[in-house]
Amino acid sequence: MVLKRLGHPHLGLGVGLRTVHFDYILQNHPAVDWFEVISENFMDSRGRPRYILEKIAERYPVVMHGVSLSIGSTDPLNFEYLGKLKALAKDIRPLWISDHVCWTGVVGRNSHDLLPMPLTEASLKHVAERIRTVQDFLERPFVLENPSTYVGFTGSTLSEWDFIGRMAEQADCGLLLDVNNVYVSSVNHDFDPEGFIRSVPHERVVQFHLAGHTNCQTHLIDTHDNHVADPVWKLYRLAHQLTGGVSTLLEWDAKIPPFPVLHAEALKAKQHIGTELADQRMSDLPIEPEPAELGGARGVDRFQQESAVPHPLHHTMAQVA
Amino acid sequence: MSTREVPSGSDQVNRLQRWFQAVITHADGVDSGAGSQEAQRLIRLGPGQLERVITRSRALTAAERLAIYANAYHTRLLECLGEVFPMLKRTLGDEAFDGFAFGYLQDYPSRSYTLNELGRHFPRYLEDTRPAADCTEPDLSGAGSPVEAADEWPDFLIDLAHLEWAIYEVFDGPGIEGQAFLRFDQLVNLRPEQWAAAQLHPVPCLKLLATRFPVNDYYTRFRQLKENESPPMPRAHQSFVAISRRDFVVRRYNLSGTEFELLRAIQGGFPVARAIECAARASTDSVDQLASNLKLWFRNWTAEGFFRGIKLPGDNTTTANKNEHEH
Repeated sequence: MVLKRLGHPHLGLGVGLRTVHFDYILQNHPAVDWFEVISENFMDSRGRPRYILEKIAERYPVVMHGVSLSIGSTDPLNFEYLGKLKALAKDIRPLWISDHVCWTGVVGRNSHDLLPMPLTEASLKHVAERIRTVQDFLERPFVLENPSTYVGFTGSTLSEWDFIGRMAEQADCGLLLDVNNVYVSSVNHDFDPEGFIRSVPHERVVQFHLAGHTNCQTHLIDTHDNHVADPVWKLYRLAHQLTGGVSTLLEWDAKIPPFPVLHAEALKAKQHIGTELADQRMSDLPIEPEPAELGGARGVDRFQQESAVPHPLHHTMAQVA
Repeated sequence: MSTREVPSGSDQVNRLQRWFQAVITHADGVDSGAGSQEAQRLIRLGPGQLERVITRSRALTAAERLAIYANAYHTRLLECLGEVFPMLKRTLGDEAFDGFAFGYLQDYPSRSYTLNELGRHFPRYLEDTRPAADCTEPDLSGAGSPVEAADEWPDFLIDLAHLEWAIYEVFDGPGIEGQAFLRFDQLVNLRPEQWAAAQLHPVPCLKLLATRFPVNDYYTRFRQLKENESPPMPRAHQSFVAISRRDFVVRRYNLSGTEFELLRAIQGGFPVARAIECAARASTDSVDQLASNLKLWFRNWTAEGFFRGIKLPGDNTTTANKNEHEH
């Protein structure tokens, strides 16, 4: 029997820790339930980023979220990376560690993007085996997130929800259900996002992600640069109902607003999960127009497409006197 | 779908991933990527046959969908390099900088799990390619003759890139925040023979840089200007700078040539007397001048926290260790 949320606590509503908010957080100690940190930004740091993280981890619950594990790559697992991940976890004691169901590069390269997996039996077996290896190494269950994707493979034989559901069962891992990613991919691949949310193994969902996206008329891009869209809030409400509620985190990675705006966006989740009245209001929310209705099937908005970059873009910015 | 285009069996995922990477990272775009030798070796496709591998959506062709990844790959990494080398980017202008950065990514694609390593080889790439002045419209009015300035332009850019990478490394590398560093009074209390044989231990965040142009002053000047302003390229002038970190903020110090040689010798592990000999050989100062400067330099350097300790002959512990206990 699988424990609800794999036995992890429900941390409440958190936000992603970003460099531009370091000073604000240290000076104001905002009443945020918890923070998610990008593992790669801290695992090698011997300067201010690591110092700030340690300060924050003393006061708030912290979860580590990675972007470079590349669990789906056919390159060998990088045990130097995993060693550093484990060492960071030993120091800051995160509640759990997560990354994405994707690959970031092959033959030694890193695109620093969350590239899509072909959804086949072969890739499912490959990913599940590697998750088990990672969990054995880290000596703890791992949590995997569904990424936004922009292409499908003709060779795919599984739906994404079947893939991640079976992956979670076979590897005995947790799921980070990114509700915005479900919506973005549903538009890009023309599937029913509610069906996705209903199909994943809910007891294995440890965490939700929320974020903003960019509508490029013919497709959506997971830009993390805006408020959460109404259809995503609607899906979030459904996911909350089906899972019974899990830790929820807002990501904002470009055009990052002042911390109070970010926090206020995360707190909006309360309106969607808190009261029956809120539920009724949410049921009236309009669904975002689908791309074909907005721009016509061939009307690619080039400017928007080329300027909209999917996350992640995570690196350190120096402070110089 | 034909199994000839898409591999099957145990290497299916591997071949598909290598093909995908070759297509989206190609310098000339998705169609050229799919037609490249590397991609064709993995999955043979004719022109317009991408949809044998990648599905189209209701609104986008397979090529358009792949282009989302290709655009994102280059845009993301160019943006990252621009933030690691902000003054170089402002000096070159966005278009010229992105041009060099784009070429760099072809020669030095990321092989690290962290974007913090992305710029490591950029100064070397500029040394190898030596960007010409005609790639942009540099302000050469502060330099010598226009012809000389144009010739020297690549060296100036390379120096600036070295400075910015050094700053970046010092910011997030090892430091001594929270630990004691060597104080000046601990030096002046030494007996002359102890002083001569002492080995000073520089802090791990101390970096020394010799440049052909005064890029540290240029960097400072740039920071004082508005976003859309840029100072002219300076005249070539051998310059030296120490970069260190205190309280997690990077600090920059102009050095004389003699100071640079002395610090370099100390960093190389020479005892103080031998380090001073090295510096004296490189100096044009008189012995008296040098002697009086030494006291001032060590006073300044200890005040700025350049040394974490001192090892005296016959002493296995360093003063830094003792300090840590005292504090």
